[in-house]
Amino acid sequence: MSGYHDIGGHAAGPIVKTELPFQHWEKQAEAIRNLLGDNARRVVSLDEIRLGFESFGLEKYQAYSFYRRRLEALIDTQEKKGLITRSEFEQELSAVQSRWPSQDQQRRWAA
Amino acid sequence: MNRVRFSVGDKALVADLRKPDHVRTPDYLIGHTGEVIQFCGYFLNPEDLSVGRTSGPMVPLYRIQFRMETLWRAPQRHPDDRLCIEIYDHWLIPAIETGSDF
Amino acid sequence: MTLRTPSPSHDHHDHDHGGATHEHDSLVVEDEVGNLLAQQMVDALLIRRGILSASEVTMEIQNLEAPGTHLGAKMVARAWLDSAYKQRLLRNGEDGAAELKIKIGEAQLVVVENTPTLHNVVVCTLCSCYPRSILGQPPSWYISTAYRARTVREPARVLGEFGLTLPLTTAICVHDSNADMRFLVLPMRPVGTEGMTEGELSQLVTRDSIIGVALVATPSR
Repeated sequence: MSGYHDIGGHAAGPIVKTELPFQHWEKQAEAIRNLLGDNARRVVSLDEIRLGFESFGLEKYQAYSFYRRRLEALIDTQEKKGLITRSEFEQELSAVQSRWPSQDQQRRWAA
Repeated sequence: MNRVRFSVGDKALVADLRKPDHVRTPDYLIGHTGEVIQFCGYFLNPEDLSVGRTSGPMVPLYRIQFRMETLWRAPQRHPDDRLCIEIYDHWLIPAIETGSDF
Repeated sequence: MTLRTPSPSHDHHDHDHGGATHEHDSLVVEDEVGNLLAQQMVDALLIRRGILSASEVTMEIQNLEAPGTHLGAKMVARAWLDSAYKQRLLRNGEDGAAELKIKIGEAQLVVVENTPTLHNVVVCTLCSCYPRSILGQPPSWYISTAYRARTVREPARVLGEFGLTLPLTTAICVHDSNADMRFLVLPMRPVGTEGMTEGELSQLVTRDSIIGVALVATPSR
């Protein structure tokens, strides 16, 4: 399928050279991807992840950063395979989130 | 295992297979003819892998070279400006040398 | 907290691709949400369900951090000094890397050589394929919409934006890294490097010259 990701030859503007740092959570996302795809587990392959973010729809695809897309595709694929449901994951997430200190609190602690 | 249908130097046309879902043949190549420059080996088809099918068959993969001039139908800064890309065997049709694409 | 790069100013484009404007790719980094999701996935999803262990994740993160330009530069410097090695490297990239004890994760490595008549540059139009196990993570611009869209169509202009203008006698070959191969460019050895050791030479080689958007500069004395 020629999707929104298939952009070779499309018009586009100047290339922004700013290099963003490789954040810790992004490393975690990559680590998860590599481990889930390794020979011990074979839970999610790279092409399954690609199909995942190629199926987001344009809005979601453009809204998310590269590593966030991978994370979301990982969630979708694991759901497809019956490993977890998204609602289960979100429930666990909001339970943790309510205990997660706000940015302001973190800044105060670090000061 | 699918047969290796192309040798280095052969001309091949990229077919418009209109497959739904995950493919690794970009749209901008469809309908263009290039020259096989390398046989890369046999690989599982990413179209199968994307839906968890790992049982095969393995597919031959080639690197194909296209002239920029013919890809974009525009004069190029250098007549030998080119693009190289990997294409799986089932996307390729043997092309008769027309003289316009290579 | 969300970090955004400034959007480049709008130039004249044709916008006939389903309304999607490709020219400004705000490289959004969600510190809070992505951060939480990743951590939660590691803890709740995987560790609690016995699929991963915390130490495996830590080790894999270390594996991700280990590769970098220095590995690619080592191969380039060796190829500059040893023409038999260079031929082996060009024939089979993984074997060439293995000779230098560089382990590759990706299926196959193709090393393409720059010459006075041909300059190579690598892009992945469909996503972000890049030789991560050798060079580490790709720079943000490599995975940007603008680079992925334009390099296969107007490589000379793209190179110009990186400050590289090639002689008109040099053709350009763009490699769209879309499948099972990963690519490294073997840049030309600059003048003024006679007598340098392999270590000194490898210090000159930049990541951008291995992707193909730069040349290796003559060292200033």
